[in-house]
Amino acid sequence: MNANNKIGNSTFAFKTAWQRYGTLGILILLLTILAALKPGYFFQPSTVTQILSQSSVNILIALGEFFAILIAGIDLSVGSVTALSGMVTAKLMVAGIAPLPAVILGILLGAILGFINGILVNGTGLHPFIITLGTQAIFRGITLIISDSSAIFGFPASFTTFMAKRFIYIPVSAFIALVAALVLAFLTNKTKLGRNIYALGGNKESAWYSGINVKLHTLIVFIISGICAGIAGAVLLGRVGSAEPAAATGFETYAIAAAIIGGTSFFGGKGKIFGVVMGGLIIGVINFGMNLLSVSSTLQQVVMGALIIGSVTLDRFVAGNK
Amino acid sequence: MQPLVIMKDVKKQFPGVTALDGISFDIMPGEVHVLLGENGAGKSTLMKILSGVHKPTDGQIIIGGSEFTALTPKDSRSCGISVIYQELSVINELSIQENLFVGNLPVKNIGPMKIVDYKKMREATQMLLGKVGLRKDPETAVEELSISEKQQVEIAKALAADSRILIMDEPTTSLTSSEVSHLFAVIRELKKEGHGIVFISHKLGEIMEIGDRVTVLKDGRYVGTKKISDVTQDDLVTMMVGRQISKNYQHPSADYSDAPVIFEVRNLSRKDGKVKNVSFKLRRGEILGFSGLVGSGRSEMMNSIFGAEPKACGEILIDGKEVRTSAPFYSIKSGLAMVTENRRETGFFHNFSIKKNISVLPFIKQSSFAGITGLVSDKNEDIWADEQKKNLNIKCYSTEQGITELSGGNQQKVILGKWLAADSQIIIFDEPTKGIDVGSKGEIYALMRRLADEGKGILVVSSELPELLAVCDTIAVFREGEIVAVFPHKEATEEKIIAASTAEKGEGNRP
Ligand SMILES: Nc1ncnc2c1ncn2[C@@H]1O[C@H](COP(=O)(O)OP(=O)(O)OP(=O)(O)O)[C@@H](O)[C@H]1O
Ligand SMILES: [Mg+2]
Repeated sequence: MNANNKIGNSTFAFKTAWQRYGTLGILILLLTILAALKPGYFFQPSTVTQILSQSSVNILIALGEFFAILIAGIDLSVGSVTALSGMVTAKLMVAGIAPLPAVILGILLGAILGFINGILVNGTGLHPFIITLGTQAIFRGITLIISDSSAIFGFPASFTTFMAKRFIYIPVSAFIALVAALVLAFLTNKTKLGRNIYALGGNKESAWYSGINVKLHTLIVFIISGICAGIAGAVLLGRVGSAEPAAATGFETYAIAAAIIGGTSFFGGKGKIFGVVMGGLIIGVINFGMNLLSVSSTLQQVVMGALIIGSVTLDRFVAGNK
Repeated sequence: MQPLVIMKDVKKQFPGVTALDGISFDIMPGEVHVLLGENGAGKSTLMKILSGVHKPTDGQIIIGGSEFTALTPKDSRSCGISVIYQELSVINELSIQENLFVGNLPVKNIGPMKIVDYKKMREATQMLLGKVGLRKDPETAVEELSISEKQQVEIAKALAADSRILIMDEPTTSLTSSEVSHLFAVIRELKKEGHGIVFISHKLGEIMEIGDRVTVLKDGRYVGTKKISDVTQDDLVTMMVGRQISKNYQHPSADYSDAPVIFEVRNLSRKDGKVKNVSFKLRRGEILGFSGLVGSGRSEMMNSIFGAEPKACGEILIDGKEVRTSAPFYSIKSGLAMVTENRRETGFFHNFSIKKNISVLPFIKQSSFAGITGLVSDKNEDIWADEQKKNLNIKCYSTEQGITELSGGNQQKVILGKWLAADSQIIIFDEPTKGIDVGSKGEIYALMRRLADEGKGILVVSSELPELLAVCDTIAVFREGEIVAVFPHKEATEEKIIAASTAEKGEGNRP
């Protein structure tokens, strides 16, 4: 009986540890595998820079997506929002507006697009999947129209040099993602707004009876998602150096994957910002690793898909929560 | 006669709690074996071991000669065990017949192909529905059925799977008294056919009526097994709590007719006609109860008072001043609270700990703009949670525990605590003691009285007449959306209330 108890408690302790740090474990495991396979290339400071700068955009988008999933919804329009707000920011800069106000206006546009999503979800009562599937196409279409289907470049030097800066191998984009993550972690853990969003994700009816304004919180969630995608749009401009009308196509998949790998429950109400950041980094490392191992880009898609399914299955299996 | 199931010295350890500490239990064919015990005694856990949800830490299970140290859900089903949970597991979107045979559809061969044999399915369904006394077409969608009808479907489903052992975990909590007698008739039929039935309930009257043997658990330990015919209700209570309990709740005989009115509803109506022009007053110190049949509109009225559902017209006044109650947020701000009827659907947050469930309300109440401004304070959270844990005697080892880890009755106590933590002026209790054990019920009644004495307004909706008669100073009877009679405590009897809720014109004072 006592022996049994010990086994029971130690598996329990392992489960809790896994739930907390499992994603970190996967990340370290992946890095170790890469280091073992390509020690020569891997142990270079530029590796850190590359992984971080590739991951930042995805992490930023995933941070917003996390909230949409947290309320048992989804936001499929994030890729299009990233593209449209990036495109508008680019046009503004090319038209002579200073980078900072241009970026702020771009982020504001992201917020407005999120607001539109929220209003549509609240107004129609349809599932966010349907609404954002629609707005995904609409926002992308608008991007194509205003750009005349061609890329825009020639940004002011102050913008490109700032975005290319790095501090001890850490790129500016990673700092931006970090600040966003810290702000949102504070929101989820310490504010009533955050608590209410978790409550709403857990049980909408209970939330309503407890005095939580369901529609207002839904609206706020989609605005957060839009703002994150807007910031990602500006970061992407800095990384690519141009605004492509087809930018960030399919990025919603990576964002959703990052959130889910990070332990966010698809049924709502469960998940942590830390996990999302880890999820984003895991995807970044996988991408980087495949480039390093010169896996062809077509095969990369297959591997990425399999890894997403694999890592979530592993998580369910180890944590024992069906 | 051989027992259908024998459980020997079963232990179950959860992290931090010993839920079962060496329990032995058996089920004979043709008997109703009652499991009794306080909230958190381990009844549901013991049955979840039989159904394969939980693995026992230690012990033995013998079913039809084969020995197991643990069952999987599949083992359990193939050994002929079915569980009828309180939270029913029928699939609303499917028809009755599909629910009965899901995963096990009768097929016929057309050449090399197998297709579903609808004719056979329909006939089998009709036969099974006849057994459980449900007169419905097999193709009726399950979502159109009432709770008790869904329960009948669930029982039929167990029979369709050829189950010999039926476990019913608090099957009567959401049933009306006529539905309960119907269920009992079905249980008696099943007994005759040699099925073994485990019946869990906190209602001693029911247990005396339907049980053959009773096993009592206390804090995960085995207390004893008795023949029902050899015990009285008082004996059972003594076994359950380990000592004799004096009736710890005495009804005061005060007269409140001169006390100030602290809460008033004027001319409340709903568009859907479920509430028609209702008015009533609540005086300081008084506890006002609402009785009525299911569907008489009591809960609908409370939902409209609280602003969770719209009202067509009507005024709500606290201390003589009209208050805004257009949505729960405003009602809570104005000093209203409402313990809702269904804890799973409208009560708790399954993803939250006990502590977080309790603190939702006070946080919202403190916040100014739509409940979203401000920070959560860990210190306050702990204070609120500990206070309610003590107040309601919630059984848990830490308030950080997830609410789903609690026993059913303790979950209900957390819901009560959540609303009490808001420290509201007026508290509506809709079926407050669902799933709560006999001893705790008395404590909750005493708590309501204490709150009323402190000057809080208490409204109670309950379908259990003894409950209303025990706590309320005034009982209003609801029928078809109207208050048809009002009885002061000393005039109220079960007969009069039942007559008023069914008759065209009830006896008693018109409001
Ligand atoms: N999944 C779980 N994790 C941890 N503890 C649990 C879990 N399930 C039950 N428990 C604990 O086991 C004990 C027995 O719970 P159980 O649900 O069996 O009680 P019960 O007799 O059915 O009570 P009630 O009358 O309130 O339904 C309780 O202390 C409960 O907190
Ligand atoms: Mg139980």
